Amino acid sequence: MVKKKIAKVLAFRYKILAAILILLAGGLVLLPKYQKHEGIKPEELLSNTISPERYMTTDRLAHILINQDPSFILIDVRDEKSFASYSLPNAINIPLEKLFDEGSDSYLNQNQFDVVLFSNDNFYADQAWILCNRLGYKHMRVLKGGVNEWYATIINPLKPADNMPVTDFELYATRKAASMFFGVVYPEQVKVEAPVIVKEAPKKVITIEKKKKAEAEGGC
Amino acid sequence: MGPLIPNGVIPFEWDNIIAILIGIAFGFVLEASGFSSSRKLAGVFYGYDFAVLKVFFTAALVAVIGVYYMDYLGFLDVNQLYVHPTYLWGAIIGGIIMGVGFVAGGFCPGTSLCAVAIGKIDAIVYVGGIMVGIFIFSELYPLFQPIYEGYFYGNVTLEDSLGINPYWFVFIFSIIAIVAFVISDMVQKRVKKIFY
Amino acid sequence: MKKELKQKSKHIYWNPYYGGFLLGILILFTFYLTGRGLGASGAMKSSVVSIIESVAPTHAEESSYYSKFITEDESPMKNWLVFETLGVLIGAFISGGLSGRIGWRIQHSPKITSKRRLVFAVIGGVLFGLGAQIARGCTSGAALSGMAVLSTGGFITMLAIFGSAYATAYFFRKNWI
Repeated sequence: MVKKKIAKVLAFRYKILAAILILLAGGLVLLPKYQKHEGIKPEELLSNTISPERYMTTDRLAHILINQDPSFILIDVRDEKSFASYSLPNAINIPLEKLFDEGSDSYLNQNQFDVVLFSNDNFYADQAWILCNRLGYKHMRVLKGGVNEWYATIINPLKPADNMPVTDFELYATRKAASMFFGVVYPEQVKVEAPVIVKEAPKKVITIEKKKKAEAEGGC
Repeated sequence: MGPLIPNGVIPFEWDNIIAILIGIAFGFVLEASGFSSSRKLAGVFYGYDFAVLKVFFTAALVAVIGVYYMDYLGFLDVNQLYVHPTYLWGAIIGGIIMGVGFVAGGFCPGTSLCAVAIGKIDAIVYVGGIMVGIFIFSELYPLFQPIYEGYFYGNVTLEDSLGINPYWFVFIFSIIAIVAFVISDMVQKRVKKIFY
Repeated sequence: MKKELKQKSKHIYWNPYYGGFLLGILILFTFYLTGRGLGASGAMKSSVVSIIESVAPTHAEESSYYSKFITEDESPMKNWLVFETLGVLIGAFISGGLSGRIGWRIQHSPKITSKRRLVFAVIGGVLFGLGAQIARGCTSGAALSGMAVLSTGGFITMLAIFGSAYATAYFFRKNWI
């Protein structure tokens, strides 16, 4: 009896196998799709995050801006309102929530320029930095301290006390010069010059096309 | 996360040892499925034995379904796998020549090696013929170069070139395969049996 | 007589679906480990290149095709596919040995002579070798492994091989049936 049953099932075995095959293949179609993350591995992201390279000081930025270094793009990740009220010269506004919109990709995902992200402090810029790094975008930097630090150091540098070392005075002198460059007028300055408008040619951005990895080699 | 060797999970030195082990399994499966017999292989073209069709399609289906499931579950990255490059006319002309060679000789390179291993003299001659063929190609390479290197479409998959969803394609492909299996069984019943 | 043969030709080989399933798992496993598919004709190409290199080194270097596969420090035989092919020989020998299929013989249809079989084997081999080079792969390397990753070239090669084989099968029917 049992044997008969087994034989009956076995007679259907090819049909059963075919059904399993179709089920498995159909499963692929029906499985809920999820967006697979692209970009770098968590370990790589972590090592990028720890690296001190990712910050840029305001002094360095001021230096770059004064020299009109063409290899940098400044990106303001604050909202449009703050951007309209004040921003760094030549900055581009890409609010954090619009970071992955169509248009912004060409600024972020490229190999040509160094990108400096900034917000009011580090906070939002860091978030943007992490997101971009996760996607494997290269040459991302964060302005240390953001706009607030920019104000505190470059625009309105604190005059060092008399008992401070000479390097501080030198730094103050540079910062003061820089702030004058950015249009701040000091009382001791009698001759008032019109603020220099730093203008750069609009940057041409070349987006990198992602190439398929083909590390493995061929058959025969 | 696979593939393991390109991603450095298994050290590269193991590559050749793994090659031998995979080869042993490949040879064993081919031989045990009867691919060392040229008359069994040729049967697919005359309708008396469809083993080639069945093994070939089952293997391709199992592999492709497995690859996409492993990709889905995150064990394997489909984008990192080697995709056979598409040289359109090279593939067509080469395939046509290979097809004639297949019927005439009754082997393909992989199966002829299996037959060599169990001492088939016709297979040894066939492998010699393949080498002569490669030699002819290499000597006349300037002649073949335009087909060999031209019409290059990159390492494209059907997803890239036809724009179809790979999952749907696998599903349709498996239905086609099952229909082919059923038809081949029906044909086999009608064709005169041949014993070899 | 015929009954005897029938019993002989039954059950000596695996069920094709079983063999196909194992082969598919093997291809999947190969992709998982190495990121590449199986191959067979590549090893023969390597042997041809190394033979030519040892027989006529200057000719091999001058030729635009051989020189692609010759590197300074490594022999063309030190190649993944060559090792894999060695494995194929061993594996087939084990399988043939287990089921007692080993022995020197020429397999052919009773209607043709051994000589004719050998002549056609050479012709087939030459054509297959030539075609495999033009298409950059044979049935295992291009068609089977290509199909496993849905490569367009793999599908085209597979269709071309089977299409032309079916189209010309009629002319070779005497050899097989």
